[in-house]
Amino acid sequence: MRFITGKQIERRTFLKGVGATVSLPFLDAMVPAGRGSAAAMSEFDRTRFVAIELVHGCAGSNDWGASQNLWAPAEVGRNFDLSPSALSPLDPWRDYLTIVSNTDVRMAEAFEPNEIGGDHFRSSAVFLTQSHPKQTESSDVFVGTSMDQLYAQRFGQDTPIPSMQLCIENVDQSGGCAYGYSCVYTDSLSWASPTEPLPMVRDPRVAFDMLFGAGGTPEERAVRRRTSSSILDWINDDMRSLRRRLGPNDHERLDRYLDNVREIERRIQGIEAQNTSGEQRELPEAPAGVPDSFSEHMRLMFDLQALAFASDMTRVFALKTGRDASARVYPESGSDTPFHPASHHGGVEERVLDFAKINQYHVSMLPYFLEKLSEIQEGDSTMLDKSMIVFGSPMADGNLHNHRRCPLVVLGKGNGTLDGNLHVRAPDGTPMSNAMLSIMHKLGMDDMEHFGDSTGEMALTMPRTSTDAR
Amino acid sequence: MKTLITAIATTATVLTYAAVAWAPAEDDFALAGESRVHDAAVASTSGLVFDDPGAEGELIEQYCVRCHSDRRLQGNLSLEEFDPTAPSNDPVLAEKVVVKLRAEMMPPPGARRPAGDSLTALVESLESRLDAAAAADPNPGGRTFQRLNRAEYQRSVKDLLGLEIDAGDYLPLDTKSNNFDNIADVQMVSPTLLDAYLTAAAEISRLAVGNPTATPLERQYRIPRWVSQSERVEGAPFGTRGGTSLVHTFPADGEYVFRFSFHHETTGTAVGNGRSSLATPGDPEQVEISIDGERVALLDIDRWMHVENPEGVEMRTEPIRVTAGPKRVTAAFVKRMEGPVQDLVRPHDWSLASTAIAGEYGVMQLPHMRDLVIAGPWDVTGVSDHPIRDRIFSCYPDQPEQRPDEARACAAEIIDDLGPEAFRRPLTDEDREALLGFYDMGLEEGGFEIGVRTALEAILASPNFVFRFEEAPAQIELGETYRVSDEDLASRLSYFLWGLPPDDELRSLAAEDRLSDPETLEAQVLRMLGDERSEALSTRFASQWLRLQDLEKVHPDVRFAPDYHQQLADAMLRETQLFFTHLVREDESMFELYTADYTFVNERLARHYDIPGVSGDQFRRVDYPYDYRRGILGHGSVLTLTSHAGRTSPVLRGKWIMEVVMGTPPPPPPPGVPPLEETSDEATEGRMLTTKERMEVHRANPTCNACHRFIDPLGLALDSYDMTGKWRIKENGVPLETNGELYDGTQIDGPAALQQALLDRPVLLLRAFTSNLMAYALGRRVEYYDQPVIRGIVRQAEEEDYRISSFVLGVVQSDAFQMQRAGAVSTAAANQH
Repeated sequence: MRFITGKQIERRTFLKGVGATVSLPFLDAMVPAGRGSAAAMSEFDRTRFVAIELVHGCAGSNDWGASQNLWAPAEVGRNFDLSPSALSPLDPWRDYLTIVSNTDVRMAEAFEPNEIGGDHFRSSAVFLTQSHPKQTESSDVFVGTSMDQLYAQRFGQDTPIPSMQLCIENVDQSGGCAYGYSCVYTDSLSWASPTEPLPMVRDPRVAFDMLFGAGGTPEERAVRRRTSSSILDWINDDMRSLRRRLGPNDHERLDRYLDNVREIERRIQGIEAQNTSGEQRELPEAPAGVPDSFSEHMRLMFDLQALAFASDMTRVFALKTGRDASARVYPESGSDTPFHPASHHGGVEERVLDFAKINQYHVSMLPYFLEKLSEIQEGDSTMLDKSMIVFGSPMADGNLHNHRRCPLVVLGKGNGTLDGNLHVRAPDGTPMSNAMLSIMHKLGMDDMEHFGDSTGEMALTMPRTSTDAR
Repeated sequence: MKTLITAIATTATVLTYAAVAWAPAEDDFALAGESRVHDAAVASTSGLVFDDPGAEGELIEQYCVRCHSDRRLQGNLSLEEFDPTAPSNDPVLAEKVVVKLRAEMMPPPGARRPAGDSLTALVESLESRLDAAAAADPNPGGRTFQRLNRAEYQRSVKDLLGLEIDAGDYLPLDTKSNNFDNIADVQMVSPTLLDAYLTAAAEISRLAVGNPTATPLERQYRIPRWVSQSERVEGAPFGTRGGTSLVHTFPADGEYVFRFSFHHETTGTAVGNGRSSLATPGDPEQVEISIDGERVALLDIDRWMHVENPEGVEMRTEPIRVTAGPKRVTAAFVKRMEGPVQDLVRPHDWSLASTAIAGEYGVMQLPHMRDLVIAGPWDVTGVSDHPIRDRIFSCYPDQPEQRPDEARACAAEIIDDLGPEAFRRPLTDEDREALLGFYDMGLEEGGFEIGVRTALEAILASPNFVFRFEEAPAQIELGETYRVSDEDLASRLSYFLWGLPPDDELRSLAAEDRLSDPETLEAQVLRMLGDERSEALSTRFASQWLRLQDLEKVHPDVRFAPDYHQQLADAMLRETQLFFTHLVREDESMFELYTADYTFVNERLARHYDIPGVSGDQFRRVDYPYDYRRGILGHGSVLTLTSHAGRTSPVLRGKWIMEVVMGTPPPPPPPGVPPLEETSDEATEGRMLTTKERMEVHRANPTCNACHRFIDPLGLALDSYDMTGKWRIKENGVPLETNGELYDGTQIDGPAALQQALLDRPVLLLRAFTSNLMAYALGRRVEYYDQPVIRGIVRQAEEEDYRISSFVLGVVQSDAFQMQRAGAVSTAAANQH
């Protein structure tokens, strides 16, 4: 094994093969080589969608940083130069890279005097909803349905698990969310409805068990599923009679819980159905827990996503890479400044560059994932061809807490809906939600007319001309 | 007639930022004439009263409304419509005013203030009017049902089965609110959560009963790199050093492999390797694996281990036969010598300060264990009995296959035994029938034991275990108030004081509907406080209130604090927890939190605090041999968790005091400001700036100063404690300056003066404590309508010399604790200013 100086690699925590098996419904064996084109397959094989939040903006959204092209390159179109940019680790993957620059996330701004200063605690909830969160510490939270959930709700029922939410950083910091905002705004990217934040899973082991079930053998997994099914039946009956004895404060929560019971029942049935139709394939060893290092943790989460896509357990992920106010140090980035202080660079050039190092380090996590996805061959195309990865931030210049000219890139080919190798610069004042609306159209939700504060669509591919070789 | 208000003309030089802070006075005017305040009408604690009914309104008009007007809206609030003679017309606003006045933060420093006690009179009259209105129309508030969070789930499983688990292995993170993890309304449900509880139930039931069909699985226990490897770790056999010691539950009798890896340098060689190793080829370092104190393996370390080796920097035992059940497993180095290890001029306590510098020639290093993995079982031969099984199988049928009826009767007995404790109520016939159904299902799957296990799995997965449902009377209408049942009161009580389900005594009192009888209730509270399970008030309540969990997020920079390591951090946490437990158990005054001239230390912590004469790992009570360290503001835990990695932070410490101790959180910083203490790091005139000078640099900025003149002096007074809470007199070679001026003009120059300044505001400290205790007890944030109750509890506690039990009793006896209002799910939004 090659060892990279300065990085501590724990071999064992990476997923590798062991005895357990899982069923794969769609294998390259099922589509004879050369027959299934990506477009043909996409009819029954939906785009895999991943949304990753790069928290708290980037150095390239600072005025000076933008002039140095620390994020968005100077050139639009195909011949852009990534060398000064934090995106440079993606240069080898530029055929799969669509840079969408100069969009705004104004729903993350303060609307009322009360909300000033609450950016850290509000922004993450805005990223995938492009809606303005209601300021409350109580359960009456309200923002919007997130794009990953809109997609999962429309098409996710085809897979056992409609979507999964993952995070890297611990979310239970005291004083970590404040200023009148419930912690769920700070900690949840995914919202099943404007009032239903979805918890994010940090432990790769827990995520693994959720995807593939706990238990060492197929028989053991089957016993567990049967028992769980019966328990859910019982809960369903039991809670219906209990409901009458609870007070009005409790009805809504109990009803939501009963919806969850039905959802888990559906998942179990989905897995059973897959098991009777699919082909058994060896499953890797479950990861042991949460690794110390950021890069190890990210790679494990990417392993899990690639594995989930390969086995078609789910097609939708949201991944939160940190928290705005985190003091985490990323020594591997070459900067030893804690994240949050680094983001408050005060516009000092040297310190903006320091923050850019951290941004670049975060970006440098992505090629590992792209490589994993490109290694999964299905018919003519790879999983990377079938995937769409949105990577961006609801914050722009973290130093000023502004939300104009936010970072956003889209990776993958989205089942032929994206060209890649493109930098699109939006006209000033374009909401990020315009790009997201277009993304959702490309995901097959072409009847959506608006999303968040969108004002229209945004072209994410080159205009097709007769001379266009592609 | 008393004249309480005289005119003072002050030039207000308050400065603004954004729209959130308090305002400058654009045009100053002097208060002409006098307001008269007479004895009469409103009773208040200090006996100060207003006579003239217009006087209070006048006071607000003159001293508040210029900034808090409809137009200027400073602090985002207007007092133009506020009628101090009828504060209950807008109790939310009135309570905000009360807090600011009680804290003496308003009018802000530099602004005109009325003379004498008239502000005190004003706040007392506001309070008594609010209290009277609340007494006339009490609102106990309400919340939705709670669920067992990680900590409660873990503790409940331990209580029910005797099984130690880490709930973090199964359950997603808890959402916090108000810094507590048990606030009902943010404990939302989701499929992820339900799935997690189902998985947990499956795993735990298998661990508890044992799993004769267990397949090999791995469980990894990480060792934080901050654990010093030159000292013995807690639980490990004497004569060892470093490594780890833990209780692991083995699912079956079988063979297990123990693997452990080591830290390595950036180049890939193990730390403490060949060059820097103390060991020689003939006398290698050894790792001992022991189970319940008995050695099961002894391995020589290959000091040339390298990450590029096939096995990396990792070692493993041969398969070792272990019987089922919980066992203490230790993997630790054999200790060969005493004394410092590194060949440095001044050896560090933390033995792994860096993996980059480790390989220096001439610097000796120890190998560092990184994790322990327990893998297995292979070659399972069955499941031996162990204490957890003994607890579950209160009966065991002979030949269950031959006598299925006897077996089923025994299963029913087990269900009757575990069920009521798990559900915190007697089982119904339906429960019994359903659970026996699960027994039958498992019986078919694999016999009697699997049957019992399946019933246990159902019990643990049931919402009756996971959720703390509270039943309401039939036909309750929204807005109606009702008393919670005795059964539910028992659960509220036990999770509040013990973090556990109610014990037999509570449950039987509840079953007879006697628990709510005031005398019985008081007796039970006192019994529970005296019981050792009340440690939960310390490890659950106080730890969250004081934010002790943040300690694990701070890792002081090794260049400044080379002696800081995990064992010291653990000792700091334990100190504060033991101290709070002591206050509860001995029923001391709440003020002891801030004044105690004693603490609880072991040898390591005593050395940190310069307390002589303490040796050994045992914690004990000691009196401070000096007069500066007092109460929790002298605890290493609090001082470290409010520091940055590389320096102390008066800002973080001041903010912590305002939020935690005083209950007056500062408003959020506006966007676009640089990190406060980084505004100037450079030296001047050939020397480094002191912390105070750096503070002054940023406070020269009016935007910052608007809030930081409140925050900084509080924290600066503690600057004679370094970032790990060690006493110091110099910083960067320059004498410390810890003197400053509190927002009300009080001069403070160090911990003692700060302590006095805080004690001079007893009302703030008492209410902050009570309000946190209440939020934790109720599982909901306290709201404006709880403030009269909090004031009442404080008043009652005064008669009991502010003993901890008087606050606990006050909370338990309150309507908020014993009653629910239907539909009164909290709606309070931001309550920041």
